[in-house]
Amino acid sequence: MRLLRLREVKAFFQGHAASHQLGWNWIPRLSLSPKGLKILAASLSCCRWLSDRQRHELGPSHPAGPGPLSGLGRYLQHCPHRSPLLSVVLYPQVTPQAPRGLHCSTAAHNPDSPLVPRPPEPQRGLVKALAPHEELFRQAPDGVRDKASFVQAVQNFTQYNVHKRGHVDFIYLALRKMREYGVERDLAIYNLLLDIFPKEVFRPRNIFHSIFLHYPRQQECGIAVLEQMENHGVMPNKETEFLLTQIFGRKSYPMLKFVRMKLWFTRFKNINPFPVPRDLPQDPVDLARLALRHMEPDLSARVTVYQMPLSKDSTDATDPTEPHIVGIQSPDQQAALAHHDPARPIFVEGPFSLWLRDKCVYYHILRADLLPPEERLDLAYGRSSWDDYEFNIDEVEEGPVFAICMAGAHDQATLAKWIQGLQETNPTLARIPVVFRLSASSGELLASSSGLEETPLTPPEGREEEENNQQRQQQSQS
Amino acid sequence: MALVHKLLNGTYILRKCPKPSVASCPFLSTRFADYCSSSLEKPVAAPGKASSQRKTEGNLEGHHQREVDLDITSPEDKPEVSFDKAIKEEIKDHFRRLKDDIVNHWIGPEGRPLHEVLMEQAKVVWQFRGKEDLDKWIVTSDKTIGGRSEVFLKMGRSNQSALLYGTLSSEAPQDGESGRSGYCAMISKIPTGPFERKRFYDWSQFNTLYLRVRGDGRPWMVNIREDTDIIQRKDQMYSYFMFTRGGPYWQEVKIPFSKFFFSNRGRIRDAQYQLLLDKISSIGFTLADKVDGPFFLEIDFIGVFTDPAHTEEFAYENSPELNPRLFK
Repeated sequence: MRLLRLREVKAFFQGHAASHQLGWNWIPRLSLSPKGLKILAASLSCCRWLSDRQRHELGPSHPAGPGPLSGLGRYLQHCPHRSPLLSVVLYPQVTPQAPRGLHCSTAAHNPDSPLVPRPPEPQRGLVKALAPHEELFRQAPDGVRDKASFVQAVQNFTQYNVHKRGHVDFIYLALRKMREYGVERDLAIYNLLLDIFPKEVFRPRNIFHSIFLHYPRQQECGIAVLEQMENHGVMPNKETEFLLTQIFGRKSYPMLKFVRMKLWFTRFKNINPFPVPRDLPQDPVDLARLALRHMEPDLSARVTVYQMPLSKDSTDATDPTEPHIVGIQSPDQQAALAHHDPARPIFVEGPFSLWLRDKCVYYHILRADLLPPEERLDLAYGRSSWDDYEFNIDEVEEGPVFAICMAGAHDQATLAKWIQGLQETNPTLARIPVVFRLSASSGELLASSSGLEETPLTPPEGREEEENNQQRQQQSQS
Repeated sequence: MALVHKLLNGTYILRKCPKPSVASCPFLSTRFADYCSSSLEKPVAAPGKASSQRKTEGNLEGHHQREVDLDITSPEDKPEVSFDKAIKEEIKDHFRRLKDDIVNHWIGPEGRPLHEVLMEQAKVVWQFRGKEDLDKWIVTSDKTIGGRSEVFLKMGRSNQSALLYGTLSSEAPQDGESGRSGYCAMISKIPTGPFERKRFYDWSQFNTLYLRVRGDGRPWMVNIREDTDIIQRKDQMYSYFMFTRGGPYWQEVKIPFSKFFFSNRGRIRDAQYQLLLDKISSIGFTLADKVDGPFFLEIDFIGVFTDPAHTEEFAYENSPELNPRLFK
């Protein structure tokens, strides 16, 4: 039976206090004698007072633990004489009960501390418990979250904490906060985070250090920083290498990860045959131009803006009645459209989705159905003269595409305006009936091509709609 | 019409009634290995209720989930299959295939004469012209680990292509151990011969993979798995990226096999080896580009061919920094 050492109790308290913030998973291991347990139980009432105080500080939204004295009480009851390592599962909300002796029976059970812990009460409000050092990232309500404020928060940490206590937690927190501040692709910020580590401390100095994972938490944290860099596609530079060597040494795991990043990033940097710039243009017309050029393999195709959005000075949202309409057509397509038989209708299909990095835009196409084999023109893109291989399969045959467009709205009126605009460069389009096959759900191609799902043609004033109506009436009559 | 028998051990046997003869279609070697979809489902105690058009959803056992469009047929359509008859049919079928196997061995590899096999320069391995072609593929998403992505596979327009579509969601499951999530995959089933023996593809004469796809601009990853009999090989695969252009035009993607890099348990390994083509078991497409939203990929067919201009053997050299042991 040994008395509890002061430092053990201190450690226990510190752990208990920290367990608020680190979550409920923290299990302090303490070798206790039964007498020590009594002292512990007594001191838990002080803990309760402490936690009460903290709870008031943190706000009323702190989730209540699963019942008062549930964990410790149960352990005290069920394993009274296990002297060495008693692992005590802590719950922060411990009611100030009188320290129970180890010999009381289970019958003296408090009615409000059931054996099965109550599920935690629903969180009041949406505020979670603050992580350590999170107050450094809290700022004035009118403060804008950008790189400068992020750097300021980091510098606050280093300023008030010369010995960098809790730097691992801070770095994890900062990695989580990067996205809010919009700096997740900034290499300088990552170097700044790596700079937080104390230098030269974690380098292995003898053979035993290098055999065993020296300072594993810090190495994991370093790897986490590099992994977030990797996820966002940020290439580390010489400064990162120098920092990593200074902090962890050349044979450490973060350094190994850095070498791997250097190797594989350079290998895969240019493998995309259709690269999309990292910073997409914000202006919808420019974005549409970029997207149409991206889709159309013919380099001689021309992009035409049929309608600019009404620019408003106050707001930057496009006017719903005047969306932008941008179209693209290549000379080959123009020629094909000129040769198109006016007896066959052509279809406006859409909207189909196109992803540019993380932005999804929608486009419509103007196409005709499959021509019968004798009239078929060869408009297949990508068939070059070097093919000496042939697959014994009939490839999917689809009708030729005459033009593609991107518009701000996906309704028939806007597309009719596009058709009107196309008519200027394709005069034969005026005689060809145009059918609008628009699907309500975007992001999925039209399911069937067998039946003509024609949307009811509410006639805008386009001439081709009247033509189409007449054609359809003629066809239905004949 | 293909008849699906579902037996007590949960094996689906797909039996194609007209068997193409060797002489008539020399290049349809893909039809010879009858694809047995051995589903990893728990045995269902209703063996007589198999319907030829019905596709059931798989369970989560084995971490594979088949999410295929449910074609519910009307009750009058179901053919009456008795259990004993099903067993007998299956045994007969297996023996027939074994006989074909032995006979084909005399004719040549995979039943085709040797000169045809050697002179072949382009071969269609998977095509999507009917519902039975969709049966050769398994579709998974991160729903198996608790994520929210959905993925479906169905025939595309006019039954001439397959459409893989769904929604990707990178919301991590709250299970305490996954930090990231958000992936969808379409994997081909391992071809089996008679008595469920595993068969492999032998593509040693070809050097490029050819895909005719139409995507939406998202980058996909193509994974090839080799012979999985050895236990370590289950986690190893060779991968490369397939970038779709998006747009209404069909895109031809040609990936030489020398570009595939080696990975084990999801991590690129330091020691890189060339992909050896003589025992390929399956190919798969994965989408995991960390962007939430709907996606689709239309595939016309997948083939392999020999590109005479491509002479590279392996694209990645091992670096002495990462692998000092290889350079001693």
